[in-house]
Amino acid sequence: MGSRFGVKDLLLYLFLLIILVSIWLTMVQIDRQWSFIRLTQEKLDEQTRDIADLRRQLQRGVLVADSDRPAETTGGLPPTWEGFRRAHQASLAPDYAEGDWLINYFGSNLQRLTPMLSADAYASWVQEQVLDTLITRDPETLDWLPLLAESWAISEDGLTVRFTVRQGVTFSDGEPLTAADIAFTYRFIMDERIASPRARAYYSRIKSVTVEGNDVVFRYEEPYFGSFELAGTMQVLAEHFYGPYLESVERAEQFNSATGLLLGSGPYKLQDPVGWTPDQPVELVRNDRYWGWVQPPFDRMVWKVIQNDAATLTEFKNGDVDVYSARPLDYRELLKDEALLARTNHFEYYNARGGYSYIGWNQQRDGEPTRFADPRVRQALTYLTDRQRLVEEVFLGYAKPANGPFNPLGKQINPDIETRTFNLARAQSLLAEAGYEDRDGDGIIESADGEPFRFKLLYPAGSDDYKRVVLLIKDFYVKAGIIMEPEPTDWPLVLKALDEKAFDAISLGWTSGFEIDLYQFFHSSQMQPGGDNFLSYGNPELDSLIETARAEMDEAKRMEIWRRCHEILWADQPYTFLIWRASLNFIDERIQNVQRTRSGVNRPGLWQAPGEWYVPAARQKYDG
Amino acid sequence: MINYIIRRLLLMLPTLAGITVLVFSVMALAPGGIGANLMTSGGDMRPEERKAMVEYLNRRYGLDQPMTTQYLRWLNNIMPIGFATGPDGARGEFGFKTPDLGSSFVKNRPVLDLVAEALPITLLLNALTVPLVFVGSILMGVYTARFRGGALDVSIGTVNLALWSVPTIWMGVVLIGFLASEEYLKWFPTSGLSSLRSDSWNFLPTFGTPSEPGYQRGYLLDMLWHLVLPVICLTYSGFAFLTKLTRAAVLENLLSDYARTARAKGASERAVLWRHVFRNSLLPLITVTASILPGLLVGSVIVESIFSIDGMGRLAVEAVQMRDREVVLSITLITGMLTLFSYLLVDICYALADPRVSYE
Repeated sequence: MGSRFGVKDLLLYLFLLIILVSIWLTMVQIDRQWSFIRLTQEKLDEQTRDIADLRRQLQRGVLVADSDRPAETTGGLPPTWEGFRRAHQASLAPDYAEGDWLINYFGSNLQRLTPMLSADAYASWVQEQVLDTLITRDPETLDWLPLLAESWAISEDGLTVRFTVRQGVTFSDGEPLTAADIAFTYRFIMDERIASPRARAYYSRIKSVTVEGNDVVFRYEEPYFGSFELAGTMQVLAEHFYGPYLESVERAEQFNSATGLLLGSGPYKLQDPVGWTPDQPVELVRNDRYWGWVQPPFDRMVWKVIQNDAATLTEFKNGDVDVYSARPLDYRELLKDEALLARTNHFEYYNARGGYSYIGWNQQRDGEPTRFADPRVRQALTYLTDRQRLVEEVFLGYAKPANGPFNPLGKQINPDIETRTFNLARAQSLLAEAGYEDRDGDGIIESADGEPFRFKLLYPAGSDDYKRVVLLIKDFYVKAGIIMEPEPTDWPLVLKALDEKAFDAISLGWTSGFEIDLYQFFHSSQMQPGGDNFLSYGNPELDSLIETARAEMDEAKRMEIWRRCHEILWADQPYTFLIWRASLNFIDERIQNVQRTRSGVNRPGLWQAPGEWYVPAARQKYDG
Repeated sequence: MINYIIRRLLLMLPTLAGITVLVFSVMALAPGGIGANLMTSGGDMRPEERKAMVEYLNRRYGLDQPMTTQYLRWLNNIMPIGFATGPDGARGEFGFKTPDLGSSFVKNRPVLDLVAEALPITLLLNALTVPLVFVGSILMGVYTARFRGGALDVSIGTVNLALWSVPTIWMGVVLIGFLASEEYLKWFPTSGLSSLRSDSWNFLPTFGTPSEPGYQRGYLLDMLWHLVLPVICLTYSGFAFLTKLTRAAVLENLLSDYARTARAKGASERAVLWRHVFRNSLLPLITVTASILPGLLVGSVIVESIFSIDGMGRLAVEAVQMRDREVVLSITLITGMLTLFSYLLVDICYALADPRVSYE
């Protein structure tokens, strides 16, 4: 009995455990101190360098006030600074103040911040605040405005674009940004050792990028309407920072597996431009060296990671998150919450980059034309798809019916085209014309050779909204005696079906933009495996129109052609276009100057420019 | 004993190989193929980009080679002895090398790094949960058995059964809604493991420094504060099962001959219960522990996702969803190893707890 494990032994072991735990805790604490000291040290080094620079400049007697930049009191904005007009106007408000934090959230964990490696929408949201582009867009007029570039010129044939790079721009570590950095960015993306196949494919249209003095010149193989945007919206990487990763295969591998290598010239920066890992909070701090006309308004941009919907809503109601994007049902419920409405502003708007959903009718399967190859059948199905009811019942009115692939906010859309509404009689007569009627009196229509009109609709599994849309559509089709069987499918299998073209009809969505290229979706050359014309739709007239539009550099003429394309698509109905979804946002009321523009709410990062939002000094919540 | 342990350790190798073959084939046979989810996120990828991506992945991970080649290659990589592999994938010399778990297709990072980030969080959660569940259920089990049929027994039994029936996902949302919301009680934070500014705080609580007067939680307490709700969610449903198990075992032993003998020789009821009966009732608990431990490693995925904590559970589930082969295989390997080790541990514990058990 004496050798039994007794209370005394238990105490002894507990004591040992406590000592071990305290040692471990101390080590953790020392680690925290260590990283804090390192950050402080880096900041100190930077400041020392700055002071030395300043002293040298003073000794040389450099003019301190830039002649290009008159003192703020005169109020004028030189044309080369047009990109800052809206931010500048916001900063003239009497209660304008810098400071406070803007707290957003992500619905899932962010994997990496290193540019070019990921296609993650969340990561690009952060990168937009850190990396600058040559040009930006006016959110209202959609005109291109200068940012890093002061001016530009496009050659007659559309094969060369020349940007004059602004002088005096520095990266957040104080190194100057020059035309060489832009040429380097292109070289970096195109380097086979860097794991950026997506970006490489995207920029492969560019033939070369060369530096000529202060200018950087982009050259292309063939004229393309998107050339200018392609070059102007490339995020500029710093050669002195990213350059060393091209030295060897090992260094390139280091870059490829890095999670947080992010340094740029934008309004915000990562506190530690090399050391971010996914287990750390996503926080950007103000870039104190920002070169722009207006300084960034917030001290910090923070993104919390909240994966649960209920928790997100609770955090927003608690005031711990500043911006909340709601789903239609939530949104309607929250509009009844008086307390919440008192301290938030809410916005319903259509997003420039938001997409549309559609049902695609497969016209060819196993080499044989399907029943959807007949345009009358497709038109009839569109007449049967009551999109107005979809909008009202599934999206509670926070969406609008689509009648083509072009964003209603942009210039490509043909305003004369009406959206087909539900019309059973019209659909039935079209179907009868195509040879479908109920021949045996069972309520289901049959083709001439007695085959009932029955098909499967493939759609990605997992989304509730999708499911409700599809079930509603099933009811619409039954009215005309068509049996549609919904087939929810996992994403990998959807992709497989697309590659093999093994489906009857499919419901998917495309993201959009102000000017999109129809080539990849509807040109008949894209029917081959891997192309996005997986419906085997072809119309020679549309093909030639698309080709002309792509090479047409004159915007007005090009828009004419796009509108003609829209007409053809409306008549052919390769897709039954479903809806455009609205974005529904609540924004904390302490944030001022929140505006709806043509391209959406003017949040920081809507287009590349410093934010226009601010918090008056008296209402600031966080400091430092 | 040593013989036995060595024999068992050697037997683990074929078992582990079997597990990996199974998982590898399931991954390979999954419709859509490995890494299929990588090709596009939400359907917005352009065709030429997709093609570039497929080619890139094939080149980098050899996904276009026969399954057996791929498996042997993976097996070779994780072994401490085998062919060295160069950065370009060429086979080098045979000999000792560092085992390599590979890197994630989706995240393009070494699996070891991913596990190193997620594992401490999971271990922390379990280090708090497991002792709570065990101490709680053992105490409840022993006392419900001791006072069988009484009010205590009935009420504990009912409450535990009720708790056991509550789905975690619902409980988590309710806890957040009522205990973390300003509309009701704002006692706890809703998500994450630490507050926004806790990085700049002291480690231990402070009661006012010259620069910052007033009480401040400090980093450590802040983290514990964030852990309260997740730990509640992880523990409450665990009591029922273990309590019932302990209760049954203790009851059986309380009625046994040796308990009667102990009482007859004049041992106090307390001594009978704790010294004699309790020790003998531990065996079924040990058995169950063996099956619980490996599950804990990745079993907290629901709680992790409700409270936005990135532990092993999320890592595993995301990897399976994305068909991220190297991560799935590595986690399987790790859990498989842990399961086998805990079985061994349990067998050793039997020998310690029960002198009648011997492996000679």
